[in-house]
Amino acid sequence: MSSGQKKRNFQIEAFKHKVVVDPKYAEKTWKVLEHAIHEIYNHNASGLSFEELYRNAYNMVLHKYGEKLYSGLVSTMTFHLQTMSKSIEAAHGGSFLEELNSKWSDHNKALQMIRDILMYMDRTFIPSTRKTPVHELGLNLWRDNVVHSDKIQTRLLNTILELILRERTGEVINRGLMRNIIKMLMDLGASVYQEDFEKPFLDVSADFYRVESQEFIECSDCGDYLKKAERRLNEEIERVSHYLDVKSEAKITNVVEKEMIANHMLGLVHMENSGLVKMLLDDKFEDLGRMYNLFRRVPNGLSTIRDVMTSHIRDTGKQLVTDPEKSKNPVEFVECLLEKRDKYDKIISLAFGNDKTFQNALNSSFEYFINLNPRSPEYISLFVDDKLRKGLKGVKEEDIELILDKVMMLFRYLQEKDVFEKYYKQHLAKRLLSGKTVSDDAERSLIVKLKTECGYQFTSKLEGMFTDMKTSQDTMQGFYATYGAELANGPTLVVQVLTTGSWPTQSSVTCNLPSEMLALCEKFRSYYLGTHTGRRLSWQTNMGTADLRATFGNGQKYELNVSTYQMCVLMLFNGADSLSYREIEQATEIPSSDLKRCLQSLACVKGKNVLRKEPMSKDIVEDDGFSVNDKFTSKLRKVKIGTVVAQKESEPEKQETRQRVEEDRKPQIEAAIVRIMKSRRVLDHNNIIAEVTKQLQSRFLANPGEIKKRIESLIERDFLERDNADRRLYRYLA
Amino acid sequence: MKKEDTVMLISAEGFEFVIDKKAAMVSQTIRNMLTSPGGFSETEHGKVTFPEISTTILEKICQYFYWSLQYASGKETEFHIEPELTLELMMAANYLHT
Repeated sequence: MSSGQKKRNFQIEAFKHKVVVDPKYAEKTWKVLEHAIHEIYNHNASGLSFEELYRNAYNMVLHKYGEKLYSGLVSTMTFHLQTMSKSIEAAHGGSFLEELNSKWSDHNKALQMIRDILMYMDRTFIPSTRKTPVHELGLNLWRDNVVHSDKIQTRLLNTILELILRERTGEVINRGLMRNIIKMLMDLGASVYQEDFEKPFLDVSADFYRVESQEFIECSDCGDYLKKAERRLNEEIERVSHYLDVKSEAKITNVVEKEMIANHMLGLVHMENSGLVKMLLDDKFEDLGRMYNLFRRVPNGLSTIRDVMTSHIRDTGKQLVTDPEKSKNPVEFVECLLEKRDKYDKIISLAFGNDKTFQNALNSSFEYFINLNPRSPEYISLFVDDKLRKGLKGVKEEDIELILDKVMMLFRYLQEKDVFEKYYKQHLAKRLLSGKTVSDDAERSLIVKLKTECGYQFTSKLEGMFTDMKTSQDTMQGFYATYGAELANGPTLVVQVLTTGSWPTQSSVTCNLPSEMLALCEKFRSYYLGTHTGRRLSWQTNMGTADLRATFGNGQKYELNVSTYQMCVLMLFNGADSLSYREIEQATEIPSSDLKRCLQSLACVKGKNVLRKEPMSKDIVEDDGFSVNDKFTSKLRKVKIGTVVAQKESEPEKQETRQRVEEDRKPQIEAAIVRIMKSRRVLDHNNIIAEVTKQLQSRFLANPGEIKKRIESLIERDFLERDNADRRLYRYLA
Repeated sequence: MKKEDTVMLISAEGFEFVIDKKAAMVSQTIRNMLTSPGGFSETEHGKVTFPEISTTILEKICQYFYWSLQYASGKETEFHIEPELTLELMMAANYLHT
C-alpha cells in the first residue's frame, strides 16, 4: 500500500452484513446447504462454490440459526446413511464387506467436505453449545445407522470371524479389505472395536485353539507340538500386524499362550519319550530353545522347565557320583563331571538364552550332587594332578587355561574346600619333589586362580612350596660352585630344602644312607648351615629318588631310576652278591613295611626284577634271600623301577586325611567364633552357629555339633562365658 | 510463478489479487477451500470470490498473509493497521479464521 493511498479518508461504515429481515432467510439458506449436502453424497460436488456454502453456514450461525443448521445436518446425514445401510444390507454374500467398505469410504469423503464447509459452526457454535463436532457426529451416525443396524451388526461380525477362521485353516483372504473394515471399527472408537469385534474374536479364538491343542497333543510328540504352537503364535502376530489393532497383539497372543501352552505345560514337559528330559538327554538345542521361548511367555513357564531340569541334573548327577564304577577312576570321574557341566552349559547358552536363573539352577544342582560324594575334593585334585603330570603335554596354552578354569568351576561347587586344599598340597608336593610337573606356568596359573577364589591364606603354603623349590635350585648351584671340583667324581646330590609347615607333614623316618652318599650329605649340611645359621636340617629319605648306573653280570649297562630306599638297598649289593632280608633291614634301617614294598618292586615285577629272590614267590617274607639278577635284560637303557605314584587313597589313608582335616578345622572354627564375638560382645547360640557357618562357607561347611564343642572349649579357656540370666546367650570376655 | 502455486482472490468490487497459495493458506478457511476433497469450484479454478469483503480490506488481508509468513519465519516487525480499518478487518479475520 502506497503512502498516497494511506491518506485517503475512510469512513467507518455501518455493519456490513445485511440485517436479516426476511423470516424465510434461514429456511432459504438451509435449503442451499441441504442441497449441497445431497449433491456431496451424490458425488456431484464439483459445481459447488465452497465460499458460498461456507458463507451461508457462517451467516446462519452468526444470525443465531446454528441450532437449525445442526439439526438439519443430523437429519440430512441420517437420511443418507439409512439409504446406504439399505444398499449394504442388500449386498449378497461376499460382496457384503466390499459394499460396506465402499460406502464407508464415500461417507468419509463426504463427511470431510461437510465438515470443511461447516467449519465455522464447528469452531463457534458447537463448543458453546457442547454438541458433538461434525466429524465425530458423522462417525456416530454411521455407527448407529449402519454398523449397529440389526441386519448388519451380527452379519458383519460373523463375516469377519469366518474370514479369519478360513485364513487359519490355510485359505487366502482379502487382507486389504479386512484391514479397511477393521480400521473402520477402530475409527468408530475403541469401544466399538472392542465390543463389536475384539471380544467375540478372542472368545472364538480361545475355543478354536482349545480344540486344536487337544488334537495336536494327542497325535504329536512334544517337539512337534511346540513347533505347531510356535507357528500358530507367529501367525496370530502376523495377523495383527496385517489388519488388526496393535493393541490386540498382546490379547490374542495371550489367548494362544494360555490355550496352547499354559494349559498343557506339565503334559508337555513330562511327555514320555519326547518331553524335556528326553530333549536334555539328546541335546535337542532347537527344541529346547523353542520350549524356552514359548514357556517364557506364560506364568510359571520357565520355573516349570527349570524345576524339571534341576531335578534331572540332580538325579543323573547323583547317579554319577555314587556310581562305584566311576569312583574307581578319579580322572574319569572328574571328566564325566566336566562333560556334564559342558553339556548343560551349552544347552543354557544355546537354548535358554544364557538365562541367569537357569545358570543358578545348574550351579546349585552341581553343588548339590558333587558334595554327595565325600571324595569329590580328592578326585578333583587327582584330576588336576593327572593333567599337570602328563595330560598337558602338547596342549596349547589357551587350552590349559580352559581346563584349569573348568576345574576351578568344579572347585567352586565344593563345600569342603579345605579337604581339596589338603589333597592338593599332597599331590603338589609329590609332583614337585619327583620333578613331574610338566608346566610351571600351568601350576602357577592354577595357584593364582585359587588365590583369587579363596584368598591369600588358602594358597600361601602352596606358594611357599614353589619358593622352596626355587631357593633349593639356587642353593644347589651355590653348593656345586663351591665344592664342584672336589666332588666331580662322586655321585651327584640334589637337595630340596623344604620349609616345615608349608609341606604336607611327613613322619621323618631316616634310614642309613650308603657311605658315599652320607659323606656328601654331611658336606651339604655343613654348607647349608654355614650360609643359614640357626636352622635345622633333617633328611626325608622316604621322599627322594635316585638314578643309578648299574652293570650286570653279562656286561649289560643300564640306568635305573629308583627311590632313595631302593637306592640304599641296591648299593648294598656293591659289596655282596647275596643278602638276606634281615641283613638288608639291619644295614639300611628302613621301616619294614616300606622295605617290603621296595623289595617287592625290585624283585617281583616282571621285566624290572633287577634282584632275584629266594624262594621265588610273590610276597616278601622275613626269611627271604636276595641276589643280583645277572640275567636281567631290558629293551630300554633307562629302566624306571616302580615308584608309587599318586593314587586314590586307600580306606585307612582316607580316614587319616579326614582326621587331619577335622583337626585343622578346629582352630579355624575357634578363630571364627572369637572374631564374631569380639565384634558382637553378646550373641545367642543360634546366631553364632549361623554366622560361623557363613564365615567359613568359603572353605568348608562347618558342622553345628563341632561348633558347639568349640564354643564349650572356648568357655573352658575363658574366652567366653554364658550369660547368668539367659543360658542361651554367650558373652565375650576380653 | 506457476499457476498451481497461486490463487486469485476476488473482492466484492471485483478486484483480483493473485497471491501465493502458501500465503493464502495462512487463512484456515482458504486452506480448507483449497484442500477439501471432492473438488469444489474454488479448488478447480484457483479463484475465490469474497462478495462480502471490500477491496481495501482484502488488500490489507493479502498484506497480512505475507507479513504473517515472514513473522513466522522469525522476522519480527510490526504490522500497521489503520484504525478506521480495524472493525472490518476483524470481521474478515473471523470469517477467514486467520
